[in-house]
Amino acid sequence: MSHVNAVAFSIVVVSFLAVTMIGFAAARWRPAEDPMHLNEWGLGGRGFGTFVTWFLLGGDLYTAYTFIAVPALVYAVGAAGFYALSYTIVVWPIVFIFAPRLWSAARERGYVTPAEFARGRYGSQGLGLAVALTGILATMPYIALQLVGIESVLTVMGVGGSSANPIVKDLPLIVAFIVLASYTYLAGLRAPALIAFVKDALIYVTVIVAIIYIPARLGGWGHIFGAASAHLKTVNPATGKPFGSLIVAPSGEWAYATLALGSALALFMYPHAATGVFAARQRHVIRRNVAMLPAYSLALGLIALFGYMARATPAVNAGVKAGGGNSQLSVPLLFEHMFPSWFAGIGYSAIIIGALVPAAIMSIAAANLFTRSIYNEFFNPDATPAQETRVARLASLVMKVGALGFALELNKTFSINLQLLGGIWILQTFPAIVISLYTVWFHRFALIAGWASGMVYGTIQAYRTPGGGQAHFGASTAPVFGHITYIAIAALAVNLVVAVVLTPIFRAIRLPNGYDETRAAPHPADSADGASVTAGTGGA
Amino acid sequence: MAQSAPAGKRPVTRVAVAVLLLVAMGGTLWVPIYARSMPKLGDFPFFYWYQLILVPVVAILCWLCSVVLKAKPTSAARPRDGGGVRK
Repeated sequence: MSHVNAVAFSIVVVSFLAVTMIGFAAARWRPAEDPMHLNEWGLGGRGFGTFVTWFLLGGDLYTAYTFIAVPALVYAVGAAGFYALSYTIVVWPIVFIFAPRLWSAARERGYVTPAEFARGRYGSQGLGLAVALTGILATMPYIALQLVGIESVLTVMGVGGSSANPIVKDLPLIVAFIVLASYTYLAGLRAPALIAFVKDALIYVTVIVAIIYIPARLGGWGHIFGAASAHLKTVNPATGKPFGSLIVAPSGEWAYATLALGSALALFMYPHAATGVFAARQRHVIRRNVAMLPAYSLALGLIALFGYMARATPAVNAGVKAGGGNSQLSVPLLFEHMFPSWFAGIGYSAIIIGALVPAAIMSIAAANLFTRSIYNEFFNPDATPAQETRVARLASLVMKVGALGFALELNKTFSINLQLLGGIWILQTFPAIVISLYTVWFHRFALIAGWASGMVYGTIQAYRTPGGGQAHFGASTAPVFGHITYIAIAALAVNLVVAVVLTPIFRAIRLPNGYDETRAAPHPADSADGASVTAGTGGA
Repeated sequence: MAQSAPAGKRPVTRVAVAVLLLVAMGGTLWVPIYARSMPKLGDFPFFYWYQLILVPVVAILCWLCSVVLKAKPTSAARPRDGGGVRK
């Protein structure tokens, strides 16, 4: 780790340059009649078909941080880390149910973000603001974590990381982010959509080669599972309990299931996921994609197994120990020790480009949120499309600079804690978005009160949870009524109970409810299967 | 979430889609089904190969749902559908 691996580094630089050219060229891809419209910059013209949407959503949701953090968790605790696979399986039937409806609602009213739907559905600026702020707050640390993913690769390559000079240390990250920010500013969603092709090709090649080549070198899967099992059984001196287990224990099943369900429900509440959905050309594109996107889940499942491969490689264990017990280094170290330099370079490129694509989409999504739900709503209701686009471009820059500041200034634990909180927070917008697709029974103020209760409960509960050597924010699960439960799910329950109890009360005291603009709309959008967001819902 | 299949389809279609999706979700979230090491497939404990195989299974279930929903409603179902679209 002390000296720079020249071959791997050159390959990373070449792929970064190639991707940069693609990013700038994307401004001329599928040229728009009026590029200064948020539908163009922020949603790539709302015209992506099945093929592009598949790459875009896959490139968007399966981030570099996932590729680093999931195997790192499996490396550290074993089977419990596999909830990530369950989560990315169960997410697809759930998305199949509601995403087409959300798409239709957005298309009918020209919404660019889910916050506008919540606002329009209840005629409530406050609810729209709550959803938008939650989205921006949850996205910022998520972008920062993409940088953490890049950093762990750079550390293993011997670039930056170890230098004492702070400028030299962070220079590669800063350069990468400036370049990313410029082509996102110029080309909008078209840039990450086009780069996603390269990202996914690299990821799939790396995964397929690794899953065949590494076990053969390590002496087969029997040996890999054996080595992992032996480690997980040993007692962790810090806790006095085993490190983990190869199979989820009965006491861990509830945590496993709630983590999978909670993460799956939360995933499409993130603004960047909604951006990928809204950019689709037709309603059916989304359904067809749901049947094809599990290919990424399979890749994720195989990547999770990298954690065990890393555990079965003594040199990786030594490297992780040398890196201060940072298990996030396990996958880059695995590549370094198992692959020839040139292929390790391909693997590193996959992770780095895998960080750039989601970071770009996240910053665009957050910029859309700011523009439509804050700037338009509170500062300039009569903004022209060109003004909106200009504001969104600037907002995307601010988001990226903010995330860079996060990653460089604050310590890594802080970003990870915030991302954990982000998952809890973002799920609190579920009632205002998904449940509201089906019913407007809730009173708008009851929804806001429920959201606030869920946010407060979730934050306090996460703060009070020790673990992993930290006194606070130590784990995303906590005991609730005697069961270890994902805090986000418990907070969602609090949220729903408050909203359900307050709705009849608010109605009884005749608190004014808002006008649902989504009901009044004609339905020109993609009537092919005749479905409408407003069909068959209860009235308020 | 059973009534979640879009309006404008025959009840039979909607029930079929709901059942397929519930099977997909139940098979993933009911952890006791697969939290075991036997039977092994090669060197893979059950816990791992079950989940890896579940991925294509769920993909196929979703694909079936998408095909069923794409199919044009039969003429007998049309008048009722028209009523269900806009309220």
